[in-house]
Amino acid sequence: MDNLDLLKKDWKKQEKSIPQLSYDQIYKLIWKRSSSIVKWIFFISIIEFGLGAVLNIFIADDEYWAKMEEYNLTLFLIVTYVVSYLITFYFIYKFYKNYKAINATDNAAVLMKTILKVRKTVKYYIGFILISSGFVFIFSMIFILRNHVLSAEEVTSDMSFDWKQWLLFIGGTLLALAVILGVIWLIYTLVYGILLRRLHRNYKELKKLEM
Amino acid sequence: MNKDLEHQFVTNLEQNQNIAHKICRIYTNDQESHNDLFQEITIQLWKAYPKFRGDSKFSTWMYRVALNTAITLYRKKKKSIRTQDYDSVHFKIKTEAYDDTAEQHLKLMYDAIKQLNDIDKALVFLYLEDKNYAEISETLGITEVNARVKMNRVKTKLQNIINP
Repeated sequence: MDNLDLLKKDWKKQEKSIPQLSYDQIYKLIWKRSSSIVKWIFFISIIEFGLGAVLNIFIADDEYWAKMEEYNLTLFLIVTYVVSYLITFYFIYKFYKNYKAINATDNAAVLMKTILKVRKTVKYYIGFILISSGFVFIFSMIFILRNHVLSAEEVTSDMSFDWKQWLLFIGGTLLALAVILGVIWLIYTLVYGILLRRLHRNYKELKKLEM
Repeated sequence: MNKDLEHQFVTNLEQNQNIAHKICRIYTNDQESHNDLFQEITIQLWKAYPKFRGDSKFSTWMYRVALNTAITLYRKKKKSIRTQDYDSVHFKIKTEAYDDTAEQHLKLMYDAIKQLNDIDKALVFLYLEDKNYAEISETLGITEVNARVKMNRVKTKLQNIINP
């Protein structure tokens, strides 16, 4: 078939114009795969932070703050925001450092160490999100409850709970907390878990090559 | 860590990198996926390198591993390929409006190859690389007769894409 043979000629001609990678570029390629995963972890943490911030701005209008004021939650909320933003920034910085570290490495041993560090950082980060969510939830409940008790007693004593109602209330609250934390945990393990599993696979491959 | 092995591998790959680049050209449509595939091929080659004992030439072994990588990756990404197919069909209609110069004809041919399935692409690639049927059959792990039959079918397929 002369069509294909014509193509063959052109194919050979084009061979000369193929861009060539240097020894160093190829050398780096061997280790590059982990770097793109860690880059994604860094990007996702930033996207997540941005989403959280935007959501906060939308939710926290004047009405919201007025309501919080009513519950005596303003100071608590502001402190929570500041602390959680600081900690989140710290984690984003850590992710960035990891990304830079993994990018600069062309040594398998160091790369393996960095991969382990990345996995640890992400695990701590998910732990922080879970603990802080639980913390905010429980404290908000306590504040609202205190507020309720204080104002309820003034109006009528009928609003107070007997022990059965308390049990039901606390049980319901704990259940709600468990569900919320469960959902958060699920989302985070889905988003970061996929990346972490890939990193782990790379780690195992590297380990095999090392031996 | 085996620095010697690493050096040996990178040197070999550097000298034979054209093979990987050409496979990327057959299997991908833009620079970014070209680079992705090239990297994946590099990684798969490096992973398989300890098993390469030098029974065959590095390039022969590389054809086999690199093509397998491209085929596997192509299967995973079938969805994105489908959208590219639409583009190339679109492109084909446009080019046909031009004069049927040699260059346009070559473009049509390359375009037609892009529409082939993963194995057919591998066959065409090896054909363009001037491999004989014995080498093609060895690289793809099929019998020589099978390779011949398949190659003839691919030629017909290409003809049908160009002159429907």
